[in-house]
Amino acid sequence: MLTLPRWATDCLKRADPALAALTRPFVLWEKQKGAMRLVAVDAAASALGLSAGQSLSDARAMVPDLEAREIDRLYLEQVFADFADWHSNASPIVSVLTHDEAYGDLCLDITGVSHLFGGEAAMLEQLTNRLRDLGYTVNGAIASTIGAAWAVAHLLPGRVVAPGDESQVLHAMPVSVLRLEPAQIDGLNQLGLKRIGQLHERDRKSLQARFGVSFLLRLDQALGWIEEKLDPRLPIAEWYAEHRFAEPIGLIDDVLMCTHDLAVQLAARLEREGVGAQGFHLFLYRVDHKVMTLSVNASRATRDAHHIGRLFAYRAERLGAEYDAGFGVDMIRLAAGSISPLMATQTGAFGLDDGAQGLDLLYDRMTSRLGPLAVVRSKPVNSYIPERAAKLEPVVAATPDDPIAQMPLEVPRPMRLLPHPEPITVIAEVPDAPPASMTWRRVNYRFVKASGPERLGDEWHHAGNKLQLTEGSVEAAKADETEALYFEEGRTTRDYYVVEDDGGRRFWLFRLGLFGIATKPRWFLQGFFS
Amino acid sequence: MLGKAQTLETLKRQVAALETQPLLTDTQSLAAAAGLLATPRGCVHEVFADSLANAGAALGFALAQAKRVLAPERPGLIILQLKSDAQEIGLPYGLGLKNFGLDSEAIVLIRTDTIVELLWAIEEAIACRAVAAVVADIAYPHKALDFTASRRLALRSAASGGSVFLVRYGRDREAGAAKYRWRVEPSLSASPPFDDRAPGPPRWRITLEKGSLDRRRRTSAGGEEYLVDWTENGLVLADTSSRDRAVVLPAYPALSDADPTALGDRLSEAG
Repeated sequence: MLTLPRWATDCLKRADPALAALTRPFVLWEKQKGAMRLVAVDAAASALGLSAGQSLSDARAMVPDLEAREIDRLYLEQVFADFADWHSNASPIVSVLTHDEAYGDLCLDITGVSHLFGGEAAMLEQLTNRLRDLGYTVNGAIASTIGAAWAVAHLLPGRVVAPGDESQVLHAMPVSVLRLEPAQIDGLNQLGLKRIGQLHERDRKSLQARFGVSFLLRLDQALGWIEEKLDPRLPIAEWYAEHRFAEPIGLIDDVLMCTHDLAVQLAARLEREGVGAQGFHLFLYRVDHKVMTLSVNASRATRDAHHIGRLFAYRAERLGAEYDAGFGVDMIRLAAGSISPLMATQTGAFGLDDGAQGLDLLYDRMTSRLGPLAVVRSKPVNSYIPERAAKLEPVVAATPDDPIAQMPLEVPRPMRLLPHPEPITVIAEVPDAPPASMTWRRVNYRFVKASGPERLGDEWHHAGNKLQLTEGSVEAAKADETEALYFEEGRTTRDYYVVEDDGGRRFWLFRLGLFGIATKPRWFLQGFFS
Repeated sequence: MLGKAQTLETLKRQVAALETQPLLTDTQSLAAAAGLLATPRGCVHEVFADSLANAGAALGFALAQAKRVLAPERPGLIILQLKSDAQEIGLPYGLGLKNFGLDSEAIVLIRTDTIVELLWAIEEAIACRAVAAVVADIAYPHKALDFTASRRLALRSAASGGSVFLVRYGRDREAGAAKYRWRVEPSLSASPPFDDRAPGPPRWRITLEKGSLDRRRRTSAGGEEYLVDWTENGLVLADTSSRDRAVVLPAYPALSDADPTALGDRLSEAG
């Protein structure tokens, strides 16, 4: 358990060198119920008697040369979340305790980790010292329950509570360290129950009736009678390999080289267990307590170290200028997710290489460089409306086929489809006849051949989805927008025609709305035939 | 020992050279005799259309050619397009590609933000030995797509044996390292049987502006001209004498890569 009581001011001071050089006391204020009240004070300010909860004007009266700023809670929370992630270089399970404030309390599950640091006491000292070196005010404690660790970190920092001693340590502590609601603490104080030891001889039923079940839960959790679970910020990776550096590294090439080495290590472990992974996550722990995460996905489970290394190399290329190692990276961890069994295959002289594997590797590389939405496949969807009848689906995130989505009939469909149909003006001899000519993008086309119509009724269950149009034609469409309040058969029915102009170009047109039902049928161009 | 290795190396190189230069081999000439327009693989083709309105014909021709080079051990067909071009010339449509005789779910569409990424993707794709053809659909001229870029693509495709089709628009021609340059124009289609007023199967007038397949077809304008009809088996030289009717195909067997007529030629008839 680590607690940083002055996180808000410390964090801002680290981010802003001008503030750090300041010798005047520094406070943060917030508007609470119309009053400007202090919410965070630094060490110099609290030495002068300022504390959180005071009004800003009082504080200014007491300390005239006060540096005051308004608090930005969202920013502080975000930086603290990064800070918490960074601590996963000490232990994989890190959680931010938010019952009191959204930042400031950090809980690490160090089960089975402390021996790496030379014991629990040594680990606590190392963790707190490295933060003090960075200029943070930090208190820490180790206990076997979260509640006890929190209490000890706040009141008796630096202690390691042996398992079973919680009750004894908490005995003399005030009830406020139990992480209760302010109303519950006030109520207990009113009854004269100020220390945790006093609660033991009380009847639990009456305590529950008066203070609620949450009070007993907190008490039992602190004493270790009920288990409390941490919810880790980062997903727990079962498969990972990591590398720590004596000196921080900065260049992306070095990082990628190390990633390749880690991939080799990880691949060896995956191979030993006969499994492969589809997702790979690279965590770069920067010296200045930030974590950078890079993720790549493979379209089929793999454990090919060379392939994983290349995927990260391409992913890093897409990063470009976003890559910022700060003052250097001192630890790299490569974690594998989405594990599935992967049997060893023999690549032999008689195997028939159908090329499918080579293609999957290619699509993975392209996806990691161009992004998942850039490498897509067309997939049929159960719909008759042409723009809905096919969807583009990322190759790396393939979904199972829809068995009823296949087009049952041999109907003409264009080779190219405009994502948004474009409005055209059409001349037809009689209302229901095939079009004789059209004007599209200010060019006139005269048709010599036409076939159709193919009539597609609107899908009533999608009646709310209006035709998606391009920017320019939105205004024109707005005019008759008002009529489409409810579904009516025939109003948005489309009649599709395949037409060929005198130059042999073949287009796919449709008329929206049937004559006699829609007030003003409109014509659109939707596709091109080869 | 060294001599043996050297011999092997030279042989390998010769085989590779043969594979990348399969121009007018047995299959080729036979296909030409059968009336099918067949282009060689392992090189860069530029397919030009005069205007964006001809986009369908240009892509159709490129895909019809690309379909010919697909093989079981080389199943990959990749279409590339800039994201910003989708509304200009339309996205390749899965159901339409299926009607065209392609397995639309095996085709991968790559939509990039910039032309540089697009060129990178072509190179990366063509370097893969499982990719048979890459069709890049580029609506407007770009500075990055210059002689150097097309030369790079030409070298890559020669090394791997895959074909690159650069589908481009406009009448301007820049210097490029493409081995073949085609100009595709749609032409009035022959009527399908039983309906005189309906459009028939696609018919294109194709000019081979650069490179040569059949010298007899060279016209005074400086290109070889072909009038072809699209059929399920590939492109067939259109029979201009019966222009008003769709070509009734003679009973050819489906001509695919392993050409049955070519095989038949080599078998000894004595048995």
